[in-house]
Amino acid sequence: MIVFKNVLKRYGGIKVLDGINLNIQTGEAVAIIGPSGSGKTTLIRTINGFVVPDSGVVSVNGDVVDYSNKKFLRNLRKKIGMIYQLFNLVERASALENVLSGCLGRHDNGMGLLFSTIGFFSKEEKELAMELLRFVGLEHKAFERVDRLSGGEKQRVAIARALMQKPDILLADEPIANLDPKTSKKIIELLLRINEEKKITLICVLHHLETVENNFKRIIALNRGKIIYDGFTSSLNRAELLAIYEESELCEAA
Amino acid sequence: MRSSIATDLPRRLNKFFWYVIISVIILYSFKISRVDVFSFISGFSYSWSLIKEMFPPNFSHFDKIIILTFETISIGFWGTVIGIIISFPLGLLSSRNLFQGLPYIISRGIINFLRAVPDIMFAMLFVIAFGLGPIPGILALSLSTVGLLGKFYSEAIESVDRKPVEALESTGSRKTGIIRYAIIPQVFPLFMGYNFYLLDHNIRVAMVLGLVGAGGLGLELYNEMRSFNYQRVSALLIIVCIVITLIDRISTKMSKDIIEGEFLSGKNKVINLFLISIIGLISVISLFFIPVDFQEIISGVPRIFEFITGLFPPNLSGIDRYLYLVIETVSMGITGTVIAIFLSIPLGVLSARNILHSRIVNSLSREIINFLRAMPELIFALIFVSAVGLGPFAGVLAIALHTVGFLGKFYAEAIENIDKKPVEAIESTGARFIQKVRYAVLPQIIPLFNSYNLYLLDRNIRASTVMGVVGAGGIGFELIMSMKVLDYQRTLTIILLILITIVIVDYISHYLRKRVV
Ligand SMILES: Nc1ncnc2c1ncn2[C@@H]1O[C@H](COP(=O)(O)OP(=O)(O)OP(=O)(O)O)[C@@H](O)[C@H]1O
Ligand SMILES: [Mg+2]
Repeated sequence: MIVFKNVLKRYGGIKVLDGINLNIQTGEAVAIIGPSGSGKTTLIRTINGFVVPDSGVVSVNGDVVDYSNKKFLRNLRKKIGMIYQLFNLVERASALENVLSGCLGRHDNGMGLLFSTIGFFSKEEKELAMELLRFVGLEHKAFERVDRLSGGEKQRVAIARALMQKPDILLADEPIANLDPKTSKKIIELLLRINEEKKITLICVLHHLETVENNFKRIIALNRGKIIYDGFTSSLNRAELLAIYEESELCEAA
Repeated sequence: MRSSIATDLPRRLNKFFWYVIISVIILYSFKISRVDVFSFISGFSYSWSLIKEMFPPNFSHFDKIIILTFETISIGFWGTVIGIIISFPLGLLSSRNLFQGLPYIISRGIINFLRAVPDIMFAMLFVIAFGLGPIPGILALSLSTVGLLGKFYSEAIESVDRKPVEALESTGSRKTGIIRYAIIPQVFPLFMGYNFYLLDHNIRVAMVLGLVGAGGLGLELYNEMRSFNYQRVSALLIIVCIVITLIDRISTKMSKDIIEGEFLSGKNKVINLFLISIIGLISVISLFFIPVDFQEIISGVPRIFEFITGLFPPNLSGIDRYLYLVIETVSMGITGTVIAIFLSIPLGVLSARNILHSRIVNSLSREIINFLRAMPELIFALIFVSAVGLGPFAGVLAIALHTVGFLGKFYAEAIENIDKKPVEAIESTGARFIQKVRYAVLPQIIPLFNSYNLYLLDRNIRASTVMGVVGAGGIGFELIMSMKVLDYQRTLTIILLILITIVIVDYISHYLRKRVV
């Protein structure tokens, strides 16, 4: 369970997150929408500590996030997988190596740290990595270098890397913004399947309204750092959804 | 499932196999070049005592030094000018999009040949023909300039935008018109950039051509070194360093202006013209100092032909000794490169601005790197021969130092250009700093490093073929000896061996570099 209480974040005097209050239950799938610059990325990055709020409290699974404690942050991040718009893979390494790097957090001290730094992983971990690559349908490309994969394949490698962490939570920041419609559909279906089968909480920043309507029960709309809608997708009609975007554009124009 | 993990094993074995091969080659090279811990320890103490003997520098013959400096600059300048004049037609002829068939093949062949032969070998040849002095230096530089510029020119021409060319073709224009109005305007700024690069390069080379008698500061340096006038040597070295640093600064500024399209425009106009005219003026004035004896030049021409006919047939006796020296030469290149790699990693890291956020440290290590790159390795070699004695160790040290000038710069750039996205992704899994470096940074830079290292290895094996000219090991010593005792049939054998080695090494390095990135 993720809870935000009065979270505030400023960049240069501008409130990017302006009093966020939010509850996300374990196992839920949530879409976050909102115009560009409304604070979506900032919001989800407070969950794994890449953004430190100026005030307010974020707690994950009952623990208040201690942003000044490095060890706490590492332990927090181990349980949170992150999926990016530009995949953030090491392009010159193979798909398998990228997936394996997902379990580094589990080897953060002692011999485990030593061996993983040299480049050794246990047989079980290698098998898990292969299994995850098969789960995302890329077993045959395991030894292929990532720069030879297509965009959709890269995103699937990135998802496998996140699953390698055995996470409780998946944060996805516009995971389909750089993919074609058909591939996008597959990636979203994959993320939702992970959410359902593995009971992993999914928080997904999206721009494509149709995708949101068709796939997510709950939707959170942000505008200028404020939550302007949080509830069932079904109780919003198309026009209202569009308005979230349009209204803000009117505001910006004004 | 199990089977797919098993496919990992042959990969690992293959990798392991290559690591073993490479380690054996490197260890063997160190052995052949006689480089070990003890040679380093004694090398340090010898170098220290040499440095002590060099102080204080003796500037009593300052006027002579200045004249020689001017002479050196003008050797570089005139060599570049003549080189540019010859390169222009050859570059056009060797551009595939302008000429095909025989003209293309011949001009390309000439350029490739001139590029394969080390510049100092041309200088030796012309010293035989025209005697000691600046003339052989100018001629040698002209030829090696053509080898480099001809290739740069034709590559630039081959990558021009086709559209203006086609537009002119459709008006029925002749080839000369197309070249004048569609090609030259496109390539002119690039050509200017290359010309300045070559001028910079040639003035530096002019410093060392004197080591084989082709005039300039190098000749004086060599003579003072051989008569153990170390305080005069240090005075000369200080001047060499100052000139080289100045030229390096000027050329960096000029090429920056050219790349940014600011050359000769606006506020740069005055400074650019000023710098060019200073170099030009020095070179014109120096013409009065250079003893140009046309009689001598004319009588020298037949001596070139005498030399060339005297080369045949190659004398193959003693080839086994030469083959060993070829191995020694290659080993020197490998050893020097390996040492340089170890020195370059810390320097590269220190100069990368995204790793170490200290302006002072960044620019200090950058200055060291720039200096090492600007100093010709034969000058280092000359110094090390005096410090640690004749033999390959001096050559290895010289190559290593000069190479740090390249690798340090390349490494720093590679580190500064890494993609930060995967670094954050690894951090978001809860990994530690060292794991981030290992899994997000190193995989990005190691392939680049390998490619740079191979490029430098190739270059260094080429450079080690001429280290022997100052007694710093390798086959170059036999080359210059055979020329000195007029045993030209041996000279040919050695030249052929050197060229074959260079071609093979070039081929291997090209093949490997395509595979590593
Ligand atoms: N590190 C930072 N320093 C300064 N300003 C920042 C920083 N990160 C974000 N901002 C600003 O905060 C605001 C919100 O940024 P954020 O990235 O959260 O928006 P977003 O909703 O994700 O937008 P998009 O849809 O374009 O990704 C923007 O105006 C942005 O310029
Ligand atoms: Mg964003």
